[in-house]
Amino acid sequence: MIERVLKRTGVRFEQTQGFHQRMKLSFGQALPTGIIDLSGLFVVSSVRPIGKEFIDLVNSVSPKGFEISNFEEVPKDFKLSRVLNGYEFKMLFIVTPPLDMLETALKVNNIWIVKLYIPFNSSVPKNGEFGQFLTLRSKALFSEVQVDQSIGSR
Amino acid sequence: MNVLKNLVGILDKVQKPSRYIGNEYNAIYKKKANVRLCLVFPDLYDIGMSHFGLHILYDIVNSSDFASCERSYLPWIDMQGLMKENSTPLYSYESYRPLREFDVVGFTLQYEMSYTNVLRALRLSNIPLHNADRSDSDPIIIAGGPCTVNLNPMKRFIDAFLVGDGEEAILEMLDAVRSGTREEKLRKLSTIRGVYVPGFSNKVSRRIVTKMGKAPLAQLVPYTNVVHDRAVVEILRGCTHGCRFCQAGMVYRPVRERSAKEIYDIVSNVVQRTGYEEISLLSLSSADHSQINEIVSLLKNLDDTSVSIPSTRVDAFSVKLANAVSSVRKSGITLAPEAGSQRLRNVINKGINEREIFDALEHARKFGWKRVKLYFMLGLPTETDEDVIEIGEMLKRVKKMGFESVSATLGVFVPKPHTPFQFAEQIKPEEAWRRYKLISWAKRFAKIHFTDPRKALIEGVLSRGSEDTCKVIEMAEERDLVFADWGEMFRPDEWFEVFEECGIKVEEVMSAKTLEYEFPWDFINVGIYKEYLWAEYERALNGILTSDCRESCTKCGVCMNFGVRNVLKGKGKIVPMPN
Repeated sequence: MIERVLKRTGVRFEQTQGFHQRMKLSFGQALPTGIIDLSGLFVVSSVRPIGKEFIDLVNSVSPKGFEISNFEEVPKDFKLSRVLNGYEFKMLFIVTPPLDMLETALKVNNIWIVKLYIPFNSSVPKNGEFGQFLTLRSKALFSEVQVDQSIGSR
Repeated sequence: MNVLKNLVGILDKVQKPSRYIGNEYNAIYKKKANVRLCLVFPDLYDIGMSHFGLHILYDIVNSSDFASCERSYLPWIDMQGLMKENSTPLYSYESYRPLREFDVVGFTLQYEMSYTNVLRALRLSNIPLHNADRSDSDPIIIAGGPCTVNLNPMKRFIDAFLVGDGEEAILEMLDAVRSGTREEKLRKLSTIRGVYVPGFSNKVSRRIVTKMGKAPLAQLVPYTNVVHDRAVVEILRGCTHGCRFCQAGMVYRPVRERSAKEIYDIVSNVVQRTGYEEISLLSLSSADHSQINEIVSLLKNLDDTSVSIPSTRVDAFSVKLANAVSSVRKSGITLAPEAGSQRLRNVINKGINEREIFDALEHARKFGWKRVKLYFMLGLPTETDEDVIEIGEMLKRVKKMGFESVSATLGVFVPKPHTPFQFAEQIKPEEAWRRYKLISWAKRFAKIHFTDPRKALIEGVLSRGSEDTCKVIEMAEERDLVFADWGEMFRPDEWFEVFEECGIKVEEVMSAKTLEYEFPWDFINVGIYKEYLWAEYERALNGILTSDCRESCTKCGVCMNFGVRNVLKGKGKIVPMPN
């Protein structure tokens, strides 16, 4: 889907070599069905430099529910897996969360919000797994940021 | 009513939930409309998205100033179960509205094995299955597609059939149902050319557009893998070869081509608006387009867009064309000789000879294709054991040419309505298996896949059935014989039980007929004289070839009956009519 969104911008992106050419595209960690992603990441290489009007351009040809908020230029040898530490997840509960999550949960009106830190490439909470009604991947965390050790293992 | 919140609870419990979410890029939700149509493809979304006719009508209706068009597809069994549990009716993919709330619900009848799916879709929508049971509060149920040339098995379930091209008729039909009681609407529909309304019409003539119209440009882009995941441009409609077994070749006459320039403009527009990496040049036989070379070279100018052609005719030109469009030897090349012997190829009017076939194959091998797949039919009229054995001989020769792998698919011939072979008999499964065994020795050279002859029998009964066959469709759906085209869901013995209980005389449906025989589909005029079909059948029995009607008129009747002509862009002239 992302490949086609980018193709619709009319901006030219680098393709793979060989017979069956595809756009050179790499992604952060994939998510199972049903999780709202606010921190999706992908890396792509444009043939010519692009300016900040690119964000509006992409969003103008994106399907409903998909939007890019930011982009950053990175060096040619950049690899997401090297700088991505992990992700912050938020789970929203309308019933009381499990006891071990209750301590760190934030209560707003009648909704509990539980934050989780998941290291890169570890298994992520599934939709509804703990009784939550909504699961979001809220932030991507990079090497410069310190992960809180006491909750890090989840 | 909006079923979206019902879906939230069940989408993560089903296989491939992205087939149910709709609102794909380029989907149109037109909020204001006098007449609301929902087009339903009676099979899975993954299949339905590749049906181009739906995209054509979707575009035409949504561009009109009074009507809107949304879509729906049949959910898989797992989803059907969950929808039933939480009372979610079948809904549209743009507004998530139940089908019952539309003014018109339209089905496309592409293949007979989807008939029970149509009934299942009506059931899931809480719409009465029988047209006799519907009232003013129910939507008008319409149907189109190639199977309408024998609409009998669906006659009791559909309110109005459209036979032929839908582009002009669809708006006329929607206009006719803008107001009035149900009876008034049906009466108005029955006055439209090409439309047959059970209970109001006695006969119907096929609707034909004289030339190709507007092509859909902002094509839908699915979120998930669908069967044909590419942009489409229909480069021509119809076919002039006159292969005697082929229904499409008969009922889509005459040929109407788009010009190379128009095709190029469409393609560049579509690619820009969809982002598709590949575009398919759709038609019954794309190599036949009189400007095909020009088309292919024009399209080479498009960046990052590859071209594909649906099938390859069995001749060197077509193979060269396939080579020109693809720089990658994807899965292999598929060719359809249909019959193993020259004699039998002449009978079916596929006049290509051995030299041409092997010339084509030699080109394929030289261009780098390592795998070749060949299609044949068993049970063609006049077929002898020797003809069948020659299939094996051909496979042996092909393997010896040096291909890495050779595979063959053998299908059982079904005599289709409105073809010269409609008078021929269909062989029974036991006979089909007997003939198949005649070439089991050829398994040494090729992987041979034999399609289930019991499926061919069922298809034969459904495609040739009279109105009595409605009982079969109804009983089959009640017994869950849906998605019958899917291997895991195909239960032939249960179909045979249904035939028996409904009193279907299978022998009679499958036996040979004469010109005097009154077929259940004779009241549907596709433009071809029945006498022409019979004359072609007799020529077939004598192995006489009939020319391609691009070269000279064969007097089949279509152009004379409907005031149409072949439209060929390349030659710059239209084939002259004899006096």
